[in-house]
Amino acid sequence: MPWLFTTARLKSVLRRPPVVVSILSLAAVLAFIAVSHLVHRYREEEKALARHLYGDGQAQLNSGKPDNAIAYFRAALTYDPADFSYQLSLARALRDTGRIPEAKSYLLALWESSPDDASVNLALGRLAVREGDTAEAIHYYHNATYGVWNSDPETHRRDARFELIDFLLRQNALPQAQAELITLAASLPRNPELEIQVAQRFAKLGDYEHALSEYQTILQHDKENVEAEEGAGECAFELHRYATAEKYLSAAARADHLDPQLEQELRIARLIIESDPFIHWISGSERDRRIQEAFKAAGERLNRCGKLPEAGANGTSEANPGSTGTVDVNSLRQSWNALNAKPSRRSASTESEKTEQMMNLVFEVEQQTQKDCELTDIDQALLLIGEDRDGADR
Amino acid sequence: MSNSSISITTPVAELSAVEIPSRSGVRNSLNATFREDRFFLMLAVFIGLFSGFAVVCFRLAIDWTRIALLGPVPQAHSLRVLIVPAAVSLLLAVVVIHVFPLVRGSGVNQTKSALYIFNGYIPFRTAIGKFLTAALAIGAGHSLGPEDPSLQIGAALASGLGRRMELSREKLRLLAPVGAAAGLAAAFNAPISAVLFVIEEVIGRWSAGILGSVVLAAISSVVVVRWFLGSQPLFRIPAITLARPWELIAYALLGFVGGIASVIFAKGIAYFRPRLRALPRWTQYFQPAVAGLIIGLIGYLGAPQVMGAGYEYMDQAMHDQFKWQMLAGLAGLKILATTLSFTTGTPGGMFAPTLFIGAMLGGAVGGIERHFWGAHLTGSTGTYALVGMGVLFAGFLRAPMTSVFMVLEVSGEYSIIVPVIIANTVAYVISRGLQPVPIFDLLSRQDGLDLPSMEEQREENILRIEDAMQLPAGPVLDSRETVQGAYERTQALAADTFLVRLSPTGWKFLTKDVLKKAVGEGKLEMNLGSILTTPPLPILHPDLPLDVALRYVNQAPIVPVVSRADFGKLEGVISSEGVLSKYRQ
Repeated sequence: MPWLFTTARLKSVLRRPPVVVSILSLAAVLAFIAVSHLVHRYREEEKALARHLYGDGQAQLNSGKPDNAIAYFRAALTYDPADFSYQLSLARALRDTGRIPEAKSYLLALWESSPDDASVNLALGRLAVREGDTAEAIHYYHNATYGVWNSDPETHRRDARFELIDFLLRQNALPQAQAELITLAASLPRNPELEIQVAQRFAKLGDYEHALSEYQTILQHDKENVEAEEGAGECAFELHRYATAEKYLSAAARADHLDPQLEQELRIARLIIESDPFIHWISGSERDRRIQEAFKAAGERLNRCGKLPEAGANGTSEANPGSTGTVDVNSLRQSWNALNAKPSRRSASTESEKTEQMMNLVFEVEQQTQKDCELTDIDQALLLIGEDRDGADR
Repeated sequence: MSNSSISITTPVAELSAVEIPSRSGVRNSLNATFREDRFFLMLAVFIGLFSGFAVVCFRLAIDWTRIALLGPVPQAHSLRVLIVPAAVSLLLAVVVIHVFPLVRGSGVNQTKSALYIFNGYIPFRTAIGKFLTAALAIGAGHSLGPEDPSLQIGAALASGLGRRMELSREKLRLLAPVGAAAGLAAAFNAPISAVLFVIEEVIGRWSAGILGSVVLAAISSVVVVRWFLGSQPLFRIPAITLARPWELIAYALLGFVGGIASVIFAKGIAYFRPRLRALPRWTQYFQPAVAGLIIGLIGYLGAPQVMGAGYEYMDQAMHDQFKWQMLAGLAGLKILATTLSFTTGTPGGMFAPTLFIGAMLGGAVGGIERHFWGAHLTGSTGTYALVGMGVLFAGFLRAPMTSVFMVLEVSGEYSIIVPVIIANTVAYVISRGLQPVPIFDLLSRQDGLDLPSMEEQREENILRIEDAMQLPAGPVLDSRETVQGAYERTQALAADTFLVRLSPTGWKFLTKDVLKKAVGEGKLEMNLGSILTTPPLPILHPDLPLDVALRYVNQAPIVPVVSRADFGKLEGVISSEGVLSKYRQ
């Protein structure tokens, strides 16, 4: 049927709307395939270029040129705008060069697309730290702690929590820092290095009980750990557990040279152990001897600090205008002389009363003179004994 | 055998009669499906798809050219940056003059010309030429953008497709703006702005007949672009806050500065373009190269940001990457570079440079304002840069509605709308005051074309029927009253024609002669309605354009103008004399 193939008929068929739509649909599909292929190839080239530029940026960053690195990261992102690591690197570089608003903008955009990503949360947390925003820092660091890490999640989570704790300590947000530390300590693996870090932070925030416990845990498994011994000794000293402090510090001193502060603490701890008349297990004569020694030390202190000026009319020391010289040395000396001259009685009650008065005077002398007169080890020991007795009284 | 054939064919015959439509039925059904209006909508979708494909390829071509010619990161003090724009421009000039003479300029006016002068005809060759030359020019660093060429490529594709379909002239004419919207939407990844721009600047009126097609084409093209290039907004801006309402004054100030900058930019183009075109023909081979050399020099000396479209630098400006002095410098240099590129006839668009200038200027003004009143302003540099984009768009391109939606769409940030509206309005008002002729109208007039000015059309004082209607000269008669009664009421009056209100609805007119004749024939007791043989009068409403009345005033001496709420309530009458006298005024 040759009439079917005439040009006129073909044209007429091709002009029919259903045929036109079919042809256009086919053309659109073909165009889609062709453009997909083209875009795919172009994207591959762009990605290769972006990787190259990103590598250059990292090299600049490693050589301490973050500004140059930013230019390369930006260029890399121009060619591969969706790449997460490029965006994160750019945001970090921006943050590290102080371009906080832009860094935040990038990071928030990343966060919106991947709120569970721990690296983004950590970067935002660090940004919040730079801005001093405690609430936001806690929020993002927690997200980073519980978020998704691509590799070694335990270490990253721990490091993130350590960062948060250090920030909270700097901000003096002690209750929050303590809560974080307790959580961290509970999840720590057996690793003395990490345990020491935790214990140090407990000590830093003033929670010596937890810190001592951490150090003791370390020492249970590693008896030779000098750092733990030092830490435990220091914490025990702060907790006024002088025998324990002496034990750990002596052990540390045997193994290693102590720093001056710890050395002094060791000396004072020993002095307290030797001088404290309130220890219940010493004999009566030993107690008397210690009281007499303390009383004598107080007298010597009065002699040593006897040149202290009396309080002026306005309550300010003339010798040391910076201090509040409220020390009435003469009155203390009179009291000391009176007690010293007082004969010992046979009566136990009167003798106990005198002992009480002597020690009260000793503590008063040490307290009154501590601001304006240099403290010796024995003075410090007596002050600490006095504090313990006050505490016991309380 | 025959029995068996009967037994087999009978059910089939029954089936065909009941369930399968006949061939003529199928044809009718197809014809109904592919009615011209519906077919036009389908065609709009295909235009959108093909425009989207074309724009994706166009953008890849620009990027590829830029990497190949200027390197992945154009840097100052690089000889490549200095030489490439000039060298490529020499080749471009030859190609434009000898191969694709219609591709000069942005493409917006060419599309308007197709709509108003050439019955929707845009040669397909123009699309190819625009694609190649604009990609080369922008990729080589000319300070031009890809949006207007995309618009023209879309329009040319649509025109070519329409011609292949042998559509009616009316439909063919409408296809160009449909393609233009698709191309622009794909280029900006912003369908609403594209539709508004085409309506504001190309078509000039809201027409329900074409709006559906324009929207469909724009959305189709954006779907394609987002499929291939991603759906994220063009710019990522920091969070926006506006703590105090009086901060809007700062944005109004930005609008003022932007309005002045728009005028400088427009006047620069208006001044240089005719003068450069008036130079001897041989100079046209070198004009783009000279422009390229100057732009290359700007890049070489330290501002490669002005080269090309510059979107990545706009993004940086929004993220506080430049000091305000640098931003102000870049805005000034971009005005110079774009003026040079555009007035020398290099193919490429003005949208991207306008946005660039706006972003830099906005950032600079924001920087200065924050320097002096930083404690009182909550907007970031990014906020001001973004608002600045809209400001220049409103002031320079004079498309106020598009400028607002464009800012919202390219940023995806809708909280900025109030500052944008305020700043854009100020810029628009200042620009209109100092530069009465909008840039696109100016360019078309320089080209010797008298295309309709959309701004003038928008602001034209339209005459309405209420402006020409009058009170009826005599009483309004009722069709139920008697002939005698009507005769007595009208006999003494000077008027010759009266309106008769029909029952229950409708109007007719009655002349004294007809009434007199009815009285003479003794029809005194008959109702007026029974002697009226003329057809009912058309009814008009006061708010209709006066042009509408012209179609009806010749059908009767007077035409009733009635309330839209009550067709029986007469607001006035209109006559041919009244209409003409109003037009004569």
